[in-house]
Amino acid sequence: MIAGLTKGERQLSLAVLTVLALCGLAFAAIGHDDPIGTHGFIILLVAIGLACVVIAGYYAPEPDKEQLSRYYDDPTRAGIVLAMAWAVFGLFFGVWVAALLAWPELTFDAAWSSFGRIRPVHTTGVIFGFGGNALIATSLHVLQRTTRARLPDQFSPWFVLIGYNLFCVLAVSGYFMGLTQSKEYAEAEWYADIWLVIVWVVYFLIYIRTLQRRKEPHIYVANWYYMAFILVVAILHIVNNLAVPVSFGHAKSYSLFSGVQDAMTQWWYGHNAVAFFLTAGFLGMMYYYLPKRAGRPIFSYRLSIISFWGIVFMYMWAGSHHLHYTALPQWVQTLGMTFSVILLVPSWASAGNALATLNGAWGKVRDDATLRFMMVAAVFYGLSTFEGSFMAIRAVNSLSHYTDWTIGHVHAGALGWVAMISFGSIYALVPWMWKRERMYSSKLIEVHFWLALAGTVVYVFSMWNSGIIQGLMWRTYNESGTLAYSFVDSLVAMHPYYIARTFGGLLFLLGALVGCYNIWMTIRQAGGRVVLQGPDVDEPALAPIALQAGE
Amino acid sequence: MDLDHQTVVGLAKSWGLIYLLVLAVGVLAYTFWPKNKKRFDRAKESILDKDDKPWN
Amino acid sequence: MPNFHRKLERSAIGFVVAIIVVSSIGGFVEIAPLFTIDETVEKAPDMRVYTPLELAGRNIYVREGCYACHSQMIRTLRDEVERYGPYSLAVESQYDHPMLWGSKRTGPDLARIGGKYSDAWQVAHLRNPRDVVPVSVMPAYRWLEDNTLRTEDLGLHLKAMSRVGVPYTQAMIDNATNDAYGQANPDSNFAAGVVERYGEATNIRAFDGEPGRVTEMDALVAYLQILGKLTNAATAANVAIKE
Ligand code: HEC
Ligand code: HEM
Repeated sequence: MIAGLTKGERQLSLAVLTVLALCGLAFAAIGHDDPIGTHGFIILLVAIGLACVVIAGYYAPEPDKEQLSRYYDDPTRAGIVLAMAWAVFGLFFGVWVAALLAWPELTFDAAWSSFGRIRPVHTTGVIFGFGGNALIATSLHVLQRTTRARLPDQFSPWFVLIGYNLFCVLAVSGYFMGLTQSKEYAEAEWYADIWLVIVWVVYFLIYIRTLQRRKEPHIYVANWYYMAFILVVAILHIVNNLAVPVSFGHAKSYSLFSGVQDAMTQWWYGHNAVAFFLTAGFLGMMYYYLPKRAGRPIFSYRLSIISFWGIVFMYMWAGSHHLHYTALPQWVQTLGMTFSVILLVPSWASAGNALATLNGAWGKVRDDATLRFMMVAAVFYGLSTFEGSFMAIRAVNSLSHYTDWTIGHVHAGALGWVAMISFGSIYALVPWMWKRERMYSSKLIEVHFWLALAGTVVYVFSMWNSGIIQGLMWRTYNESGTLAYSFVDSLVAMHPYYIARTFGGLLFLLGALVGCYNIWMTIRQAGGRVVLQGPDVDEPALAPIALQAGE
Repeated sequence: MDLDHQTVVGLAKSWGLIYLLVLAVGVLAYTFWPKNKKRFDRAKESILDKDDKPWN
Repeated sequence: MPNFHRKLERSAIGFVVAIIVVSSIGGFVEIAPLFTIDETVEKAPDMRVYTPLELAGRNIYVREGCYACHSQMIRTLRDEVERYGPYSLAVESQYDHPMLWGSKRTGPDLARIGGKYSDAWQVAHLRNPRDVVPVSVMPAYRWLEDNTLRTEDLGLHLKAMSRVGVPYTQAMIDNATNDAYGQANPDSNFAAGVVERYGEATNIRAFDGEPGRVTEMDALVAYLQILGKLTNAATAANVAIKE
């Protein structure tokens, strides 16, 4: 890791870590009677720990010219490992949260483990921890390969990766202590939010600097999606998190907006977090790894351009479908509904484009579980966008809103699309990155695939059932014109589905564990570096071993 | 200019629509412009080329 | 046109600007008008602000993630109005920074829970929901009664709220800590100040059943008991169900 940095970058790292440590110290001192003090200590420890690593490697020889003229993949390798670690963490908490709704006593009477606190641990863990690291790792890889240019420097990708993970750690540890802004997918408090802005600016600069040095005249479409992800997430994040802290010694802040304006802002953010974090970024992944793995060009490049602008343009209007029949003015609700329905067009264009690419290569899909992960992801993407457009219709939403149906929809997208495309891409990427001929075991990929698929199906079906039953029970009248069921009646009816869902989640978690084992064994594979040649391999392992010091 | 609520909503709606149409036309024109075909075909294939190291 | 786009794309910066412009407009068109209107937010002259104790309770509600299971937004649908009460108006969450409308009803809506149950019921329910409703899946919040409420910094909280636009007076900010104590201790000298600053209708009780010490339970129950009661604009406006 350090061996890849130049002398100047090592000094820069130490300088940045010193500043970070001082910030941590300041928070620890000012906020000694507030949870922000604990966060100060965490920041301080992280900074000191990293500084030790830098100092330990400080006198290692600098990378030579030959090494600096190759692609820089150390951060991608680290990002893959982090993504898998967060996946296990986030999914584990997902299973726990699910279990709490079936067996509420599983909190063991602790405050930190109660439902309201660990639900955001789950969502942040999977969306930002797993999804975010997968996006950063793959984007840096795709960016270099499609522009035929090395990253501009060695320091900033590490800054982004480590800084981003520090943000995730601050967020998650905060929820355990009860620190939250209560904004869905934006729960982290003000100082973590400011930190993320800094990290994000550097991320954006890496992208733009590499693009400007590109050797390939045209920017490949996958990068468009990654760029939209980076840019729009920045806009959303800044606007949605505007808040006034109680004081610099308090973690707590009060959001700038209130009431309807806040609701609209939060769902403008919330839905577009889905669109630009969970959709655009992963579409970028799909447009690169799927054709690459299948060994066939994307079916229609033009279609990918049209759907890109369609998604960038229209998603922004759709957020208000989360607020049907509420105190939001009706014209805004109608606008959101209309755009949500039209959104189906670019969404299906993307899904169809992916599937049409595979047309003629079904043999490969049958034999190769990695490619099958990507194919199933495209199918689920198509299904959940169809469902989403359907649920955005006011009449449907009156039934589905507030129920488990929404949760079922979310997870058809999150498990079936986001997680599957990530696993597929990671399985494709790991052998390239560690210069192995293939993954340690293709059988285990197969096992992971079926566990993931079974888990998703069980999950989604149980939530469809429970959601629709719930929605119907709440609105059923008996002959005398009074409501037929009490709320508690509906609660009792949910119990079996909550157990089923927990089981489905468990299968999915097991799959991820199998994946981790497989990746670990691939990295550690006996015989060390296998020298590789062949069309499937990015870099025939000519690279000197010293370059791989990051592992 | 007097920016009361009705004006703002009106502006938002009318300009929103024009903007939508212009954008759609623009994107379609770009995508189907005959001269761009070659670039797109090349882009499509380019990721499958061997990419073992940056071009210099 | 194609040349224009090609240039746009050549210079990566142009491309960046295009993405930003194209994507921001949707949000702008939808959100901007909401800030110019008074119509989205009805007039409610009787609307009062949260007392320091209620605000502290609200912060506990946020801290514990009650919003993850409970909505505070009754939609304009007949069954909801019959189940939970008059549908919610925008004005009712005017002082909610942030709003807690919620998106999932694992538990019932709480927008009008204030006054539905006694304090004792609320305390027993929060201590262990299954003592009161045997099939409940709500977590037990036993630690709330044990934790003393942090009140010394409530003035700063009110100050921050006033910065984002809630009409707290200087007197309210200055007396925040005492008011929090007074509201949970009806027999203390501080109780009168609460009425003076926040009005006759304010609940002044030992919410957790134990005067003397102000606990997190006091604050949370005080907050729950005020939900839906900051204004009666809703009952007045809710004569007809919209749809
Ligand atoms: C796991 C989801 C969950 C969480 C988190 C949760 N609740 Fe509940 N709550 C429920 C369920 C389910 C019910 C219905 C059964 C019952 O009355 O216990 C309920 C009922 C209630 C009721 C009674 C509503 C009525 O109309 O009868 C109140 C009041 C309440 N909760 C307050 C809270 C507060 C305050 C918190 C946070 C400290 C909280 N809840 C957190 C699930 C939850
Ligand atoms: C065409 C695209 C889509 C549309 C129109 C759409 C629409 C919707 C609708 C109507 C809801 C329910 C809101 C409610 O009543 O509470 C919803 C919720 C949600 N959707 Fe989608 N969706 C789309 C795609 C996706 C995808 C691909 C994912 C995941 C990767 C996703 C993740 C979510 C999330 C996280 C929520 C949860 C909101 C909550 O917690 O209430 N959506 N979406």
